[in-house]
Amino acid sequence: MSAWLSQVRLALRAAASGLRASLATSAVAAVTIAVTLVLVGAFGLLVVNMERLLDRFGEDLRVSAFLVEGLDADAQEALRARATEAPGVLSVELVTEEQALDRFRRSRVSRAALLEGLEDNPLPASLEIALVPERRSREGLALLIQALEAIPGIAELGYGHEWVEGYARALSLVRGLATLLGAVLIVASLLIVTGTIRLAVYARREEIQILELVGAGYAFVVAPFLIEGLVQGMAGGTLALGVLFGLYQVLVPTLRGSIEVLLGDVQPAFFDLAGSLWIVLGGAALGMLGSAAALIRGPDR
Amino acid sequence: MSQGGEPAAARPDALVRLFHVSKSYQAGSWALRDVSLELRKGEFCFLTGPSGAGKTTLMRLMFGAEQPSEGQILVLGRNVGRLSRGGIPALRRRIGVVFQDFKLLPRRTVEENVAVTLEVVGTPARQARSRVFAMLKRVGLQHRRHHYPRALSGGEQQRVAIARALVNEPEVLLADEPTGNLDPELTVEIMDLIADVASRGTAVFVATHDHSLVSRYGRRVVRLEGGHIAEDAPPRRTRP
Ligand SMILES: Nc1ncnc2c1ncn2[C@@H]1O[C@H](COP(=O)(O)OP(=O)(O)O)[C@@H](O)[C@H]1O
Ligand SMILES: [Mg+2]
Repeated sequence: MSAWLSQVRLALRAAASGLRASLATSAVAAVTIAVTLVLVGAFGLLVVNMERLLDRFGEDLRVSAFLVEGLDADAQEALRARATEAPGVLSVELVTEEQALDRFRRSRVSRAALLEGLEDNPLPASLEIALVPERRSREGLALLIQALEAIPGIAELGYGHEWVEGYARALSLVRGLATLLGAVLIVASLLIVTGTIRLAVYARREEIQILELVGAGYAFVVAPFLIEGLVQGMAGGTLALGVLFGLYQVLVPTLRGSIEVLLGDVQPAFFDLAGSLWIVLGGAALGMLGSAAALIRGPDR
Repeated sequence: MSQGGEPAAARPDALVRLFHVSKSYQAGSWALRDVSLELRKGEFCFLTGPSGAGKTTLMRLMFGAEQPSEGQILVLGRNVGRLSRGGIPALRRRIGVVFQDFKLLPRRTVEENVAVTLEVVGTPARQARSRVFAMLKRVGLQHRRHHYPRALSGGEQQRVAIARALVNEPEVLLADEPTGNLDPELTVEIMDLIADVASRGTAVFVATHDHSLVSRYGRRVVRLEGGHIAEDAPPRRTRP
């Protein structure tokens, strides 16, 4: 066994005995980290799922350009060709008055009965315009709208623009809140971890003093405490992941109604493997940082 | 004899050299004042003087626990006052220290307490185990190696502390009132052990205010008074 490995083994052994000696304070630190990560993680889940909805919206982002009434097929086709020239257009589909009525009748939401009594078809012809992927943004949409508005023969434009903007604003609010809350919680849990490691250092000050008397260097003295912080953090992260998953399993079915309001028909999803790993790693980082902060002044001599 | 000696005049085999060392913890009062002395390889020297004379301060300066206010301290060729952060641990690995209150790790066995010295320097585990065993045998505690310190008598605990100080074969041994907490019979036992260390070539400093001890062994005696060296007496030639 190399000397380096045996030093690692010694540090692990010292950390294990340290954790055993201060089980209660270590548990407090781990739970603090877990609480932080549960709250941050819950906001994270909300943001991730809301972002998925926005992405989904982007995918089927379409602009409907309703044509003025009374155009013949040639004129409609000419407008279709012109719309194709507009910036960022991927494809343009012409939907005639008859096709529009047909679609409406077949659509799930239609109340076909409403139209039964009518002599004339009240639905206008329209152009269904899809954007190239890189233009599926607020700016891309604005440019397209501007170009389409300049085309005579287009009476009205329909798009989910306002709704998307509102949703995006809500999302950035949630994100901002999550960041703020996360920062506060992270600082608070760092302080608590720092406190518990300080306590551990204090409880073992005589041991540290003895190690230094026989020539232990700074790394030898400090490594077990960093490992203890790391273990507390990973335990907290794993606990948080478990709690989040449990809450998710329980809350998603119970809150289906509210979730539909928030996410529409996008299915809510839990963190994937990478996201879950980030939670545990986040805990590990919190634990390490907390103990590093406790050790910055160096063990008391 | 070497009081006030200059570096150029120093004996080549001096392991510890102090040149005009002073230490003040508070302005206006001196714990040590203008102390110069040398300790050679294999030399055994008592450091005596009443309580508060500066014995502990002198030892703490020698293993880098305190910095001198004035003067130079050379231990094993290193200027202790100018060591870098990593230099002090490196120096301490070559010095053994023993205290009145033993300073054992309560949650580690006798064997593990002695092994700490070797762990710190990264001695391979297998080699460390046999050296610890040999050392415990030398202090007569091999049968106690799996016990915890609290199960041991004071004399046994101090033998463990001495084993810990010696297991890495230090060139200098500093013992501050090593028998201060022990009964007279145990005192002799411990002192014989320490005297044996010097006969193997280690430079040994023993601080004590016990005059009977000093006269029994007839070794060199540096007597401190109020932080000054009041006397530096060579060994009596009557020692066994
Ligand atoms: N850490 C300290 N802070 C302030 N004064 C100290 C400190 N250590 C020792 N002293 C003072 O230095 C003097 C010498 O003390 P010390 O070296 O402990 O003497 P001894 O070991 O001979 O009893 C005493 O007057 C003591 O009060
Ligand atoms: Mg003293």
